[in-house]
Amino acid sequence: MTLRAHVCALALVLLLPALATAQAIFNPKDWPEGKRGPGAKAWIAERGKLPPFTPPRTPDGQPDLQGRWGGTWSGDDIEEIPIFLDVTTPPWESWVSDPLDGKLPYQPWALAERTAHREGLGREVWSKDPSKRLYYDPQAFCMKSVPRYSQRGYELVQTKDAVLMMLNWGHIYRIIPLDSAARPSSAVRMWMGSARGHFEGDTLVVETTNLNGKMWLDSAGNFIGPNAKVTERIRLVAPNALDYQATVDDPETFTRPFTLNAPQRRQGAGGRGGANAVRDPYDAESWEHACHEGNGEHEKEIEELGFKWYLPSVAPKR
Amino acid sequence: MNHADSVRVFRFALFAIVVVTSAFVPMVAYAQAPANMPPYTPPKLANGQPDISGIWQVLNTAAWDLQDHGASLGVPAGRGVVVDNEIPYKPEALAKKKENEANRATRDPESKCYLSGVPRITFMPFPFQIVQQADKVNMLYEYNHTIRQIYMNGNPHPAGHIDWWMGDSRGRWEGNTLVVDVVDFGEETWFDRAGNYHSDALHVVERYTPISPYHLRYEVTIEDPKVFSRPWTLSAILYRRIDPHVELLEYECYAYQLENEFTKK
Repeated sequence: MTLRAHVCALALVLLLPALATAQAIFNPKDWPEGKRGPGAKAWIAERGKLPPFTPPRTPDGQPDLQGRWGGTWSGDDIEEIPIFLDVTTPPWESWVSDPLDGKLPYQPWALAERTAHREGLGREVWSKDPSKRLYYDPQAFCMKSVPRYSQRGYELVQTKDAVLMMLNWGHIYRIIPLDSAARPSSAVRMWMGSARGHFEGDTLVVETTNLNGKMWLDSAGNFIGPNAKVTERIRLVAPNALDYQATVDDPETFTRPFTLNAPQRRQGAGGRGGANAVRDPYDAESWEHACHEGNGEHEKEIEELGFKWYLPSVAPKR
Repeated sequence: MNHADSVRVFRFALFAIVVVTSAFVPMVAYAQAPANMPPYTPPKLANGQPDISGIWQVLNTAAWDLQDHGASLGVPAGRGVVVDNEIPYKPEALAKKKENEANRATRDPESKCYLSGVPRITFMPFPFQIVQQADKVNMLYEYNHTIRQIYMNGNPHPAGHIDWWMGDSRGRWEGNTLVVDVVDFGEETWFDRAGNYHSDALHVVERYTPISPYHLRYEVTIEDPKVFSRPWTLSAILYRRIDPHVELLEYECYAYQLENEFTKK
């Protein structure tokens, strides 16, 4: 790495405080040849070995999914990461469980678009030529969307008529009504979309529409369009594990629906604690994560470097 | 339109004004003297807590100015929410309040879409939703997808001081009133668009009392010995949103602002 590249890498760390602090660091020297971090395939294999489990019920008779859940799927690239990209991004299995090859079934225009996102990306070392700089990961601006929010983990709270998900990261939340009340018209576009939920047996099924298409699926430029419908299926498969599935229907962007699949593990994290540890009484509390408020310098720098604001990718008009 | 029609329209307009005005009179009266509401006992949740869950919103102009104020372009006139209308600034602090107000366009943290602080978030003209649990009350605000988690798990405020935009909230029930004690604020938030402000010594006590199925009385005591010569109180009414299809949508202030900034020519 040249000195300039080191300076750029440092600048990236400074640009992404919220992302950097939450990411694990891996040393390429300690990573065995050919190893892949566990993705959808590993989780499906693990899930298949679990003994049958019937979740407890809330007083309202719903399967009780409440608690603090840690996200496990990486935000780096939801497809397979074949090589060591950097210390935060070792080789990893795809989080796509369907299609079986783990690749997103993009239409040709959309694959070209994804490739363009990736080539113009502000990741680690960006192009010296500002005209080749395209987008920064939209999440760098403290927003989330569906299904990407699930990568961070959340606290899940149930009432008789709604499911509430609260992320500590960026105080993002979703309130999912458990009925099929009419959604707002398609004129209403939201980062977190319009969600409606219901239970099918032990599974919470959430259908989300009215998305705005302004958030990527990951930090590698993978995306869904603004008219995607996301169907999530969430089930308690062991006392401390949720099976999380999200199926994306977006015929404008993909040749067929695809599904992400990942576990979410119960956590005591929060407050001063680390994952899976209840060491002091504040560990199960969510303390303020004010993201945008401390992000001004980074937002300015991203703009000055010539990166653009990501607007929804839509199919070229025929 | 002939003359007779004009007269009819004029008469209808007068009638409409009278109807609207008389509809508002009792509401204003209640807002000023909610003690006149007939006694009300809220339903209880299964865990025994008074049920204050639902979607609520203020119907006042405190977002512009906590105190009585006249109208100007884009600013509706309004009676204030400060009891006796007086905010007891120390003399040097009052000068800073006036300076804040004069430089509002650039200095108001709202102009940068920052988290609003407490109680300013309650007075923002957007709905918020209360979701109760046994050991905490969650308040979800449409404005900037703000979350407040009011812990009632027996933990005191953590050892401080911590600079938080929304402070650290610890709650308890006094009868049917949810009492929330909030400390650990930074100095960056204001109380309104008129430059009313505080220091990091701010201590807020909020009281949410159901006075009908559709109204919460919202009383707030503000203490900040660095800025004010004595504690002072706010009193307002929160209205339950009962519109068909009402649900929280999004107002992503900073996302809209950043998009404008990045896409301007």
